[in-house]
Amino acid sequence: MLARWGKIEIWLGAVTLILLGAGLWLAMTAPADFQQGYSVRILYVHVPSAKMALLSYLFLTGCSIVVLWKKSETADVLAQASVSVGAAFSVVTLASGAIWGKPMWGVWWAWDARLTSMLVLLIIYVGLMGLRSALDPGKAAKATAVMAIIGAVDLPIIHYSVTMWRTLHQPASFSKTAGISIAGPLLIPLVVMAVAFICLGAYMVLVKARAIEYERRIEALELAEEMGHEEMHHG
Amino acid sequence: MALLKLRGVVHRFGRQVVLRGVDLTVESGSCVALFGGNGTGKSTLLSVLSTRLRPRSGRYQLSGFDALSDGESARGKLIFVGHHTHLYGHLNPIENLRFFLDLRGVSRSEDRLHEALEAVGLARFAQRPAGGFSAGMRKRLALARTILAPPALLLLDEPHSALDRQGAEWLNGMLGAYIEQGGAVVMASHDVARLAPLTYRVAWLYGGKLWENPPDGTQKVEATTA
Amino acid sequence: MTELMRYLRGAYRIAWKDVVGDLRRRATLSSMIFFAVSVLVVFQMAFEPTRQEALRLLPGLLWITVLFTSLVGLGRVFQAEEEDGALEGLLLSPMPRGVLFLGKWWGNLLLTLLVELCLVPLMLVLFNVDAWMRLHLVFGVLLLGTLGLTALGVLLAAMTQTARSRETLLALLLLPLVAPLLVAGVQATGAVLGSHGPDATPWVRLLLVFDGVYLVMAPWAFGWLVEE
Repeated sequence: MLARWGKIEIWLGAVTLILLGAGLWLAMTAPADFQQGYSVRILYVHVPSAKMALLSYLFLTGCSIVVLWKKSETADVLAQASVSVGAAFSVVTLASGAIWGKPMWGVWWAWDARLTSMLVLLIIYVGLMGLRSALDPGKAAKATAVMAIIGAVDLPIIHYSVTMWRTLHQPASFSKTAGISIAGPLLIPLVVMAVAFICLGAYMVLVKARAIEYERRIEALELAEEMGHEEMHHG
Repeated sequence: MALLKLRGVVHRFGRQVVLRGVDLTVESGSCVALFGGNGTGKSTLLSVLSTRLRPRSGRYQLSGFDALSDGESARGKLIFVGHHTHLYGHLNPIENLRFFLDLRGVSRSEDRLHEALEAVGLARFAQRPAGGFSAGMRKRLALARTILAPPALLLLDEPHSALDRQGAEWLNGMLGAYIEQGGAVVMASHDVARLAPLTYRVAWLYGGKLWENPPDGTQKVEATTA
Repeated sequence: MTELMRYLRGAYRIAWKDVVGDLRRRATLSSMIFFAVSVLVVFQMAFEPTRQEALRLLPGLLWITVLFTSLVGLGRVFQAEEEDGALEGLLLSPMPRGVLFLGKWWGNLLLTLLVELCLVPLMLVLFNVDAWMRLHLVFGVLLLGTLGLTALGVLLAAMTQTARSRETLLALLLLPLVAPLLVAGVQATGAVLGSHGPDATPWVRLLLVFDGVYLVMAPWAFGWLVEE
């Protein structure tokens, strides 16, 4: 089914490119924040990619439910693609968070509740990739779907527990630094970047999913060919 | 009413279609032998009949239960002895049988268990862990289950493999008695010679369908495998 | 009613079979206990805590040891079902999948609790921590944590059963998911021992939430996992 989405892929890519260009230009010309200086600009990447890392998981959960319910192979392909894309976004989130944290907090890494949850999310993404590659294709779809749903249920508990844990040790001032209250001229580039990242995420999932679909078709063809040869040898 | 009714069963693994609309009706007190070359879907069909494999489409009724929506009730009516015998190596035969019966909610006295072991020729090994048993002994122990809790339907995959000539004769005797008492058997087999003493109906799997008479093309395959 | 009794009996028999099998082969239980002791020894060598430090570190060490030790046990939960296709045999029995899960879970739970029963007194002795009067509270917290840990663990063990390098994979999947359990367990144990602030209630509540979620979800998810 995804094979016929080539046109959509091209158009989505073009829109993403334009939006990203506009967003980055706006972000780079935005005035400096009076508290955070120019380092605030990294938030234009950090915040949208954090949202996308979560949004990818939401999408993955939806696909996984369809996989279990309808045994749909397209949903499984999309699920596999969204795992890679979600992992990429969480890496970007963590890296940009660290780059932002160095001038702001004086350290690359702080066990802030959001960063910790994001790190756990990344590990879950990596676990899902590992699970898929370690299982036979016939079993991988169902197992990764179940695992993704378990993760979806667990993530809010993880976030809640980590928040409770951090607020116990650090008074609110520190953990609140990750929160942003940007107003006026700083908000417009953020909105543009958020839309651009949503398009980027959708585009990446589509490209990856189509690649996976072709990969699976090739494997199926190779298998059929091998079995054909075997028949001939037997006959 | 027929004991087993399979209608329009379709199944595929990935893109490979194995069953393309299989119909099968089996009455109580009869035996059906499934023939077909390697990869024609005999084991797949048995898995569907055992309720382990849910086909992509089709209907399956067993003993009045809709086996696809109420697999639990259907499983209570059948026993499947395949290549694996589902035995625990650290338990002895008595414990293995007791475990099997408990999961079915059937209670049998200690004497009945020993009688069943006697019947399958394993009485001497009642206290040995099943881990050391040979393939033939395992198959006998697995078949002891059908003596203790006779099912309405007995599914067998290559029942004569792993048995010696005596074992095969014993198995045919056991199956004959079981069918006489109203049990139904569906078995996949290669071994026409060893089935000879039994009265059975033949069904051929070819091209993803079931045929009552050998369709063109299967005879050649059978000739090489039988 | 009789149906329920049949289910409970079936689950009990599966657990019985696993525990008896383990005791006969002296396989999982003993390796879990020796693994736990090794962790304690290694910890002592690496940190050499004073008595004060030991009291502070004890909750964390206890939970880390429990977590890693349970991984040893979970790696073997489905080992007995692999030989001779025994899991297929279970799936062919007229039992709901949830009952089969319950049986496997009870077996693992019992073994893990037995290990914990040895582990805690041993820790108090080895690290000279005088908390004998609060032992029952520590066990209470441990029990709450172990319920959820083993339920999720057995489910993931079923998921990775046929995977390549499954033990690494099991750890990779389990550890991030039990983060809440670790946080809440350590904090609650610390509160009970008087080293981590006064109030264990919110953490115990978190443990209960975790247990509740996985006790409801795991049998259901197991059904999805094994159905073909």
